[in-house]
Amino acid sequence: MAISVKLDRVMLERGMSLTELSERVGVTIANLSILKTGKAKAIRFSTLEAICKELGCQPGDILSFDDGDD
Amino acid sequence: MRAIGKGSLASLLAIGLHFTRIILWIAFFGLTIAMLTVPFIPAILDLFQSSDSINVDVDTDDIESAGEFIEVAYYFVTVAVMLFVVNRLLEILKTLRFGSPFVKENADRFRSVGYALLLGELAKFAFGFLTLFVDDNVDINSSMFSWLAIIAVFVLSEVFHEGSRMKEEQDLTV
Repeated sequence: MAISVKLDRVMLERGMSLTELSERVGVTIANLSILKTGKAKAIRFSTLEAICKELGCQPGDILSFDDGDD
Repeated sequence: MRAIGKGSLASLLAIGLHFTRIILWIAFFGLTIAMLTVPFIPAILDLFQSSDSINVDVDTDDIESAGEFIEVAYYFVTVAVMLFVVNRLLEILKTLRFGSPFVKENADRFRSVGYALLLGELAKFAFGFLTLFVDDNVDINSSMFSWLAIIAVFVLSEVFHEGSRMKEEQDLTV
């Protein structure tokens, strides 16, 4: 996939676990896991906003575009 | 009326289909026995031998038994197709009662139902063609409604295919 998710790296930098982020953001661990492993097909602005707010980062810190073959 | 659960249309349909399946299984076994007992091989052999010669010496009993065999075989195929369709519909209803019906498997099930119905209609033509060789009144006919139903099932299959894709996308939206 051209869009890669770097949520695990940002979480590691902030020292935040998946369970803690799940509680703070209000998204289930299963859904966060889908996002973290890159299996997600779409992300809502509301989810992205909540994650960025809790992790104190920009959307670009979590998502990146790899200009290569699929 | 509720969509799922007790007293829902789906559960009533499931009861009806289970009942239909029992009847169809009985008919299927009955027709299997009938097919095995109808003395068809000598009848067909005699039929072809008599059609090759100019001096036709046709044994009427053989012709009638060939006609009977065609009729039994026709009903056998029809019941087999119906049994297949009922089983697929029950599987589809099961997914509705225990979760979401918009899964790829249901799209494939509807497609297989479409192919089974198509096979049943084509078998009608094949049996209808065979009845031309026997002097027996076998009631085999294909209706326009059947062909429309086949097309409708294939359209439904495509709808479910798209529905399952949309459901997957929704499930994977965080």
